[in-house]
Order: sequence, then C-alpha cells, then structure tokens
Amino acid sequence: MLDTLRESYFKKTTQFIVINREMIVVASDNCLFHMSTGMDITDFHPFFFSLSELFESEEGEAKQKFYCIQFDILGKTYYIDIETHKQNPTELVIVLNNLTDHYKSVHQIKQVRNESIIGFNITQELNKELEVQRGFKNKFLANVSHEIRTPLNSILGFVSVLENTDISKEQLDILSIIKTSSKNLVTILDDLMDISKIEAGKLEIKNRRFNFLEFIETLGKTYKIRAEDKRLELLIEINEKLPRFLVGDHLRINQIVVNLLENAIKYTHQGSISFKVYTNSVNARRIPVTFEVTDTGVGMPKDKLESIFDSFTQLEKKGLFGGSGLGLSIVKQLTHLLDSDLEVNSEEGVGTTFKFTIHMGVSHNQKKEPSKNVVIRHKTKGKGKKPRILLGEDIEVNQMLMMKLFTDHGGYSLDVAKDGERVLKFLDNYHYDLVIMDITMPRMDGLDTTVHIRNHPNKKIAKLPVIALTARSSEEHQQEAKEVGVNAYLTKPIDTDLLFSTVDKYLNRYKRKPKDNEDEEALS
Amino acid sequence: MSVSKKIVLLGHFGVGKSSLLRRFVENTFSENYVVTIGVHIMKKEVIVSNQKVTLIIWDVEGTDDFTKYRPSYLMGASSFIYVFDASRTVTYNDLKYNLSHLKEKYPLVPVHIIGNKVDLVDKNEVLENLKQQDIQHSYLSSAKTGENVEQLFENVAAQLLENA
Ligand SMILES: Nc1nc2c(ncn2[C@@H]2O[C@H](COP(=O)(O)OP(=O)(O)O)[C@@H](O)[C@H]2O)c(=O)[nH]1
Ligand SMILES: [Mg+2]
Repeated sequence: MLDTLRESYFKKTTQFIVINREMIVVASDNCLFHMSTGMDITDFHPFFFSLSELFESEEGEAKQKFYCIQFDILGKTYYIDIETHKQNPTELVIVLNNLTDHYKSVHQIKQVRNESIIGFNITQELNKELEVQRGFKNKFLANVSHEIRTPLNSILGFVSVLENTDISKEQLDILSIIKTSSKNLVTILDDLMDISKIEAGKLEIKNRRFNFLEFIETLGKTYKIRAEDKRLELLIEINEKLPRFLVGDHLRINQIVVNLLENAIKYTHQGSISFKVYTNSVNARRIPVTFEVTDTGVGMPKDKLESIFDSFTQLEKKGLFGGSGLGLSIVKQLTHLLDSDLEVNSEEGVGTTFKFTIHMGVSHNQKKEPSKNVVIRHKTKGKGKKPRILLGEDIEVNQMLMMKLFTDHGGYSLDVAKDGERVLKFLDNYHYDLVIMDITMPRMDGLDTTVHIRNHPNKKIAKLPVIALTARSSEEHQQEAKEVGVNAYLTKPIDTDLLFSTVDKYLNRYKRKPKDNEDEEALS
Repeated sequence: MSVSKKIVLLGHFGVGKSSLLRRFVENTFSENYVVTIGVHIMKKEVIVSNQKVTLIIWDVEGTDDFTKYRPSYLMGASSFIYVFDASRTVTYNDLKYNLSHLKEKYPLVPVHIIGNKVDLVDKNEVLENLKQQDIQHSYLSSAKTGENVEQLFENVAAQLLENA
C-alpha cells in the first residue's frame, strides 16, 4: 500500500531516461512525458543537444545539474530541474524533476519585481532627459530676455528724452502708451528671468535685517496712490505686535507683495482693497508674519483657481501662455522658497483674498540705525569747473542716450570710450572725476576694466568712483561687480533721477576722500 | 549530419533577449513583458556559406550580476550574445565589468554586444554614449521592428563556422 502510494507521488514529479552516445532514447519510464525508445531525444527538446558533450567528459563532470529548464510541451509550460549521471561510457541517465508549481510562484514574484525595477529605470531616464531639456530652456530664456532687454532699454531711454522735448499733447499721449507697453515688456522679461532662475534652483534667499515697518509703510503709500488712480480705496492694517526690525529676504517679500497688490488693483473695478500684515506671536526671536491682500474685484470661479498658479512648464504643456501672465506662478514659487505657501480664496463677483505667512527673525536691535549721511546735492552749475565724467559704452544708441541725458541735465562734461581698453587709455591721458561703465563691452569688459583701475599705479586713478551700468540686474552680478571694486550698480533702463543722484553722491565722496576728516558742512 | 552550436543570450532582465529570440525564430513580437526564469531554449537552422548550422539558443534569465550565472547554463557555449537596452543606460553602464568577468571565466568564447530597442531612442545619442564608454558593439537592433535581428544571429553563426 505504502509502496504504491509512494510510487504514485514519485511518478508525478520525476522521470528517468537513459540515452546513448547517438542521443537515442534507450529507456524511459515516461512518468512526465512520453518518449518512445529509439527516438532522438534532441527532437523532443533542444535542451538535450547540450548533453552530447557529457559523453566526452570524465565521470565526475558528467554528473551535472541544470535548474529550471523551461519546456513548452503541447501548449503547456513546465519548469524542470534536470540531473545527469553517467551510467557507463556509452550511456547517460537523465533525471527530470518537474518543479513547475514551485517555479511558477517564483515567476510571479520576479515578474512584479522586474517590472517595478524597469519602471523605475524608465522614470529615471525620463527625468534625466527632462533635466537636460529644462537646463536648455532656462539658459535660452535667460539669454533671450537679456538680448531683448538691451534694445528695449534704449527705446525706454529715448522715450524719456522725447518726453522732455517740445511735442504736442497728442504726441505725449502716444509716448506714454509706448512707455507703458515697453515697461510691461520689461516686467515680462523680469518674470521670465525669475522663472528660469527659480527652475534652475538659482534663486537664493538672502536674509538680512531691515526696517520692516518702514518697508510696509512705503509700500502702503505707493499703492494708496495707485489705487486712488482707479478710484479704489486701499485700507492698510498693520498689527501693533509687529517689531520694527526683522530679519528676512526683504527683496523677495517685496516682490511677492507688489505682485499681489498689482493684481488686486488690476482686477478690481470698484470698492476697496485691504492689505493686512499681522502676527499672533510675541516671541522674542522668531515670529510668523502673515500678509493678506483682499479685494472686492471680479473674483474667480473654482475651476480657474486651480490653474492660476500653473508654472511655466505646466502652461507650456497645456499650450497656454498669457492671460494673468506669470506673476502669480512666480509668487507661488517664491513663497515656497521662503518656506511658505500662497493661499487663495475667491468668489466670483465678490472678490479674492491672497494670504501667506513667513517666519522671520526678530532683530535684537530694535533701534533705528543712525540716519545715513543725507545725500548731498552737488550743485555744480555756475561753480566753476564742471566735473569730468568718462563713460565706457560700446553700443551707439546707449552712448547717444547718455550724452543726451547729461547735456539736458547740464553741469557735467562727458567723454565716451567704446571699450574697456579705451577707458584705461583715456584715464591715463586725461583727468576725470568719475567713471560710468557698461559691464558688457568688447575687448575688455567693465569688470576687468574696474580691476585695472583699482590696481592702477596712480593712486588718484585707482580711487576713482566707478558706477556700473548694465542690463543684467541679478544679485550675483551685483555681488560680482562689488567684489571687483565697483562703487555703485545701476540697471538699465536708466532711472534719470537715480543716475544723477548716484553720480553726485560719489563725486562728493571722492572729493572728500583726500581730506577725510573734513566735516560734511564744508562740502555742500 | 548538421552541426549544432550552443549560443547563450546574456544581459539584464527586460532588455529584450527573449523578444530577439522570438523575432528570430518565430518572427513575432509582443509588447507584453513576460519574465524569463531559469532558461528557455529554442533552436533554429541557418545556412551560412552553404553550410547548415543548427543554432541552439539559450535564453537565460536576465541578471545584472554576471558572477551569478549558473555555470551549467553557460557550459559548452560557442558564443555569447550580450544584449543591453539602448533606452536604459543602467543596462550598459556595467557592461565592461561584466565583460571582464566573462573573459576571465570563458576566455575562448566570443562575445557579441547588441544594443536592443533602438526604435525607442535617438541612435546618435546612443552611439555617442557607447563611444564615451568605449564599448565596441556589434549591432543596434530592434526586436519590435526586426531591425538587424536576422543579421545579428547570422553574423554570430558565420563567426562560429570561421572558428570551427
Ligand atoms: N520598443 C521595443 N520594445 C522591446 C524591444 N525588445 C523587447 N521589447 C520589450 O521589452 C520588454 C522586455 O522584453 P523581453 O524580451 O522579455 O526582455 P528579456 O528580459 O531580456 O528577455 C517587453 O515588454 C518587450 O515587449 C524592442 O526592440 N523595442
Ligand atoms: Mg526573457
């Protein structure tokens, strides 16, 4: 009984076969597969071809084990372990062990594992490709924005010049349209630059101590006027708990709030805008500060709310670009950079609220810093010798623009050198009081030229004030310029007032330098 | 009697070894990925310079670590075909390392290197990558389109006869 039972189990999983040197089946118990005596075993399955060489080998080597050989027989798949033993020099015993069930479960596990690994690989490859593409895109964006900015600056510059000529009211109106449109273009370019930087992870957050209350008050004043232009009321609420001096990224916060206020004014046609800044904390070191801008504007339906923060990449995918522009997407990303998030609540026809909270350090020094030396106007007119200024600028329209600005303003004499090498030559041959230089110039750029000036053997030349003028407005560039010894950094389009106040400031300082202990009174 | 030769397909899993074999033997292709476990063996007769050769092709379960191959699978091989997936760099980043292992264990067995799935990639990019890694491939193939599949096996067979 036991024997027959054992045999029946045995039979189901194992088959014994004997073959000769010619690969002919000499005997088979046919427990698994039918193999008739006299057949060529390689006709049964090509696996058996590999056994022929075992006849040539030593007895030990002829004993082999092959695991998990797949047999497809009559539409069924079997997984078989195969063992060989050399019976005598002319005969080989083959043992087939059917382990199909076992291997099928192994198969299932491996199927899942391999698929997930391959899926992961593919995602990795895709990401790699996206990274590369994104890198290209960001570089392209940055370059294109820069290229467009240069001609745009000269347009804006000459528009200002034209405004001050004798033209009709109608022409003035047209000019103001050109000006507004060009300024909008500049804003779009700035946005593009910011996006490329954010996406490239190049936008750094710089936390510094600043007069927070004054900052908010100035913002409030500016936007009160802007709102009044549209007959809107701007209500400002600043919570009393807020300290005057905080530590944070003043520039980025400004960028966010300005965007939100602009947006509110743009989409509100009647009613009011409220701007609230508050904290719930009285902590001494670090506090959450919430900024909230609410308008009574057109509002947005729910489905649109979801897409207002779409990144450039998302917009690109959808093939959309325009409408609300990129402002809100940048604002959203900026709040993320500041470890915050921009929340929005909106109801169509009722209004919209944007809100974000950032954590800022509380400055341990809450006293106003001693007021910096008031800018001393350098009134040169009718005071004898005009200060001589050297301008390094390669682009002709920009040269013309500057010459025009300086002539109109009066009180200075301006020479123009068209590259860095010439700037140095001029300095060697003539006396100047100040240098204004474009940073991108052929032969020798503004930064290299500044290095040469600062290392000039003539002490007077080495100490000349240098004002850099450039279309590149990034902080890295400013930092770089500062490091080589540029005194001030002005970006194009040129703000005429800022230009002359900066020029005057440094002319005065430079004059004071040789006699350092002279007091300010004596200078004015 | 015709000669029979054992050829072994090696490489990471999912690179298309089974698909190449199926394309070559049955001229079919499926997008479905069915993992090969152990070894699946197929044969095909080819005629090279008027001589009949039966290729016994062992499609061995893929692995990224060639030291893990069971010796009984590789034993008696006349040729190795090392397949990688041109669309996944992981499948050929370690190619040189694996090759050196083969050279050490089976110094006499020639290795043919095949970059499969070229239908998915920019060929020039792959060629550039291979050049950078100094990988000498024999063919870029596609089991899906059939590109270079027959050629690669015939090339292997021809070389076998030369060596014989
Ligand atoms: N597009 C494309 N897919 C392929 C090609 N060769 C194989 N595949 C697919 O890749 C997956 C893995 O193929 P398979 O032959 O099982 O790979 P193996 O593990 O190396 O045997 C399957 O989904 C196939 O359909 C090819 O040349 N082109
Ligand atoms: Mg396979």
